[in-house]
Amino acid sequence: MVETGQIALAIALIVTGYAAIASFVGAWRRVPELTASARYGFYCAPALLLVSTCALIYAFVTRDFSVRYVAENSSIAMPHIYTWVAFYAGNAGSLLYLALVLAAASAIAALTMRRRLPHTTPYAIGVMALILLFFIAIMLFFANPLERLSFTPPDGQGINPLLIHFGMFIHPPLQMAGLALVAAPFSVAMGALLARRGGRDEWVDVGRLWGMISWLVLTMGLMLGSWWAYTILGWGGYWAWDPVENSALMPWLAMTAFVHSIMVQKRRGMFRMWNMALIIVAFTLAQMGMFINRGGPVPSVHSFAQSAMGWLFLAFMVGTLIISAAVFVWRYESLRSSARLEAFASREAAFLGQNILFLAVAFATLWGTIFPVFSEAADGGAVTVGQPFFNLVNGPMLLALVALMGVGPLLPWRRSTGRSLLRALLVPAAAALATAIVVIAVGVDRPVAVVAFACVALAVGGIAHEWLRGTRARHRRGESYPAAFLNLLNGNRPRYGGYIVHLGISMLAIGAIASSFFSVQRDIAMRPGEVATLGAYTFQYIGARHINRPDSAHSIAAFDVYKDADFVGRMEARRAFYPEFRIASTQGAIRSTPMEDFYIVPSEFGDDGQAVFRVLINPMVWWMWASGPVMALGIVAGLWPHRQPSPAPSPARVPGGAQPMRA
Amino acid sequence: MARLGRMGRIGWAALALAACTALAASGCADARADVPDAELRAQALNQTLMCPICPGESIDQSQNALAAQMRGIVDEKIAEGWSDSDIRGFFVERYGPAVLLEPPREGVGLAAWLLPPIAVALAAAAWVMALRRMRRAAPAPDGGDPAPQHGGSAGYDAGGGDNQCGDEGDDRRGDDGYENGGGDDRDDASDSDRELQPYYARIEAALGGEPREGDER
Repeated sequence: MVETGQIALAIALIVTGYAAIASFVGAWRRVPELTASARYGFYCAPALLLVSTCALIYAFVTRDFSVRYVAENSSIAMPHIYTWVAFYAGNAGSLLYLALVLAAASAIAALTMRRRLPHTTPYAIGVMALILLFFIAIMLFFANPLERLSFTPPDGQGINPLLIHFGMFIHPPLQMAGLALVAAPFSVAMGALLARRGGRDEWVDVGRLWGMISWLVLTMGLMLGSWWAYTILGWGGYWAWDPVENSALMPWLAMTAFVHSIMVQKRRGMFRMWNMALIIVAFTLAQMGMFINRGGPVPSVHSFAQSAMGWLFLAFMVGTLIISAAVFVWRYESLRSSARLEAFASREAAFLGQNILFLAVAFATLWGTIFPVFSEAADGGAVTVGQPFFNLVNGPMLLALVALMGVGPLLPWRRSTGRSLLRALLVPAAAALATAIVVIAVGVDRPVAVVAFACVALAVGGIAHEWLRGTRARHRRGESYPAAFLNLLNGNRPRYGGYIVHLGISMLAIGAIASSFFSVQRDIAMRPGEVATLGAYTFQYIGARHINRPDSAHSIAAFDVYKDADFVGRMEARRAFYPEFRIASTQGAIRSTPMEDFYIVPSEFGDDGQAVFRVLINPMVWWMWASGPVMALGIVAGLWPHRQPSPAPSPARVPGGAQPMRA
Repeated sequence: MARLGRMGRIGWAALALAACTALAASGCADARADVPDAELRAQALNQTLMCPICPGESIDQSQNALAAQMRGIVDEKIAEGWSDSDIRGFFVERYGPAVLLEPPREGVGLAAWLLPPIAVALAAAAWVMALRRMRRAAPAPDGGDPAPQHGGSAGYDAGGGDNQCGDEGDDRRGDDGYENGGGDDRDDASDSDRELQPYYARIEAALGGEPREGDER
């Protein structure tokens, strides 16, 4: 089985290499037979990589410790269910996973675009194949996940216990898939550029589709990562501006800019160069993410896939950046905009401003992340750039983006008159003002928090106003309110899908703002039977159970929790210690309501029965986790294909805001 | 009247939203009052100090024994009446400046603080300049007349300019423009296109009688 996987990997290398060469040569020399053959070859890559992946999973599930990677990343003590997913926990296996996702996504992209973009596709496949080739080559020559040991150890070394968590099933694979998926819109854009088709906007729909898919996956990866940190890393927070978190955030920021500005090209034929530049930046940042995660220069809490091959990723990142920049310059002339900006007060201008702000956040994040390296090189000594820095530098910019999210969508395309602008902004501005007044009235005394809530109110107010207005307009034409609302959303799905995503972002922002400004925590030492109070919550420490497992010792503390004298329930918080790894993992007891989370996490258990707990009240964190499904819904709504009108009408009457998926 | 009603409703919605956030905020403000000042100070300090053996994590966040020990020292020093900067200085003396979670605001560390605002200022300048240039810029030669190509119809403007009409979406009309623009494949067949025509024909043949690209539009 393992050998089959090895062979499949080797064949995948050959096939992908052939696809890259044949696709480029075929496109360049204009031999369609060659490009078709390259394409069919490329379709084989995901199948071959799937064989390798299955071989590796098989080795894990059967606990075949003669495979080096299995021995290094699992053990007999590991729960059986985790052996199915342990393969992406280490460096080599996660590469295989990345390659599989990349190959599958690229093949699907190639399949769906080959008829719509016959000129672009061969080049795009060439680019995809080159990227894939890099990953396969690294696996075969530097970190082979299927390599055998010369002997069979009786037991494996096991896995970092922090990874033994439900989040493990979803967060790392989604995060990696998100990073890999950025390659799809990048390849489409580069293909269009190489085919001298960048100045036509035909690639935009495919680019937007894959851009949004990768955005969604990146978003979900980030959210699940935060959720994982919140529930298992046990410090009551969810985001720490750790280098690895930053490296996942940066491509997300760039992709967010891209999925917005691509709309300008779709609608107005503008920003052609800018979109190319953005997707190149996004792809580079995704590479940067992989580089930092795999042996980058910056130490981090969760460099789970650390390896000595960071330099390879750095070289690849620099290489792709130089090459794509060169192609960009080479094809520069083909990217001239076909429309003129008409006014500053237009949606186009707002989009550009938003893009620039997003890139500024990405830049500040990048700068803070690599600054320690820079400082040491510049002889400034060792410094740390952590949470306080990022909060101070990025906080205001993110807040400005939330505010812009309220204003931008209200601006019309092309130009707006002062009066219409004023009318459109009146309601959201009133909402913001009302929120500010109410928030001050109830005693929030931190100006930043007041401004932050007002910004969110601006965004939500703008969306609510749009929806109400549209629904009423339809209602006046005789539709019932619910039908009018649904028809409104359905009538222009890209636009209203976008609003749904914005609503999700607003929920996220509320949670983030409330919990970062108003979180309360205490470290409390308690003996069994003792009672303590925090805010409205009273809790009694009942006692702890201790369980010894072969690989770990668990202590589970039980509490009876009351809120305003009402019994809420018994809550259990857990702390496990893994002597082999010298790692403690904690699992907080969390009672989550839309208003606030009550969170208890054990810090230490003394020998005399006394234990120290960290108790937190985190307001409105619930909204952050709830925003994930909302955003996913918005993206799906925005991408949902329109039915093809038939027979092909005159261009002037194609309905709907979106291009059909397959026009 | 309808206008007033609408405004009123939105006003209520805004107030409801505001009330929710306010309620949560005030609840937490109460809870905050339960925590002694010294403890709040210690927490704020802990969040600025890094646990030296768990890179990137603050001692507030870290589960490590050393972090717990350092938290204890912070509590002690606060009880002894040390100032925040003295306590930070105490740890810097022992563990070096890297123990602080933010770079020093002097020397090389100053660059960390200065570059982001400079970048933002430059970006804002670039934004204004780009917008100005784009207003002046003549459309690309292949674009032809921009107005018909990208939806400059008067009808569109009416929809877009007056964004009040909600669902009778400007987007729709805008898309007409886009569709018009999409039609440029034929009218501007450049030299390179003509040269490529046989190639396209062969591609389409190779694709096996799929609809021609022209038809798809």
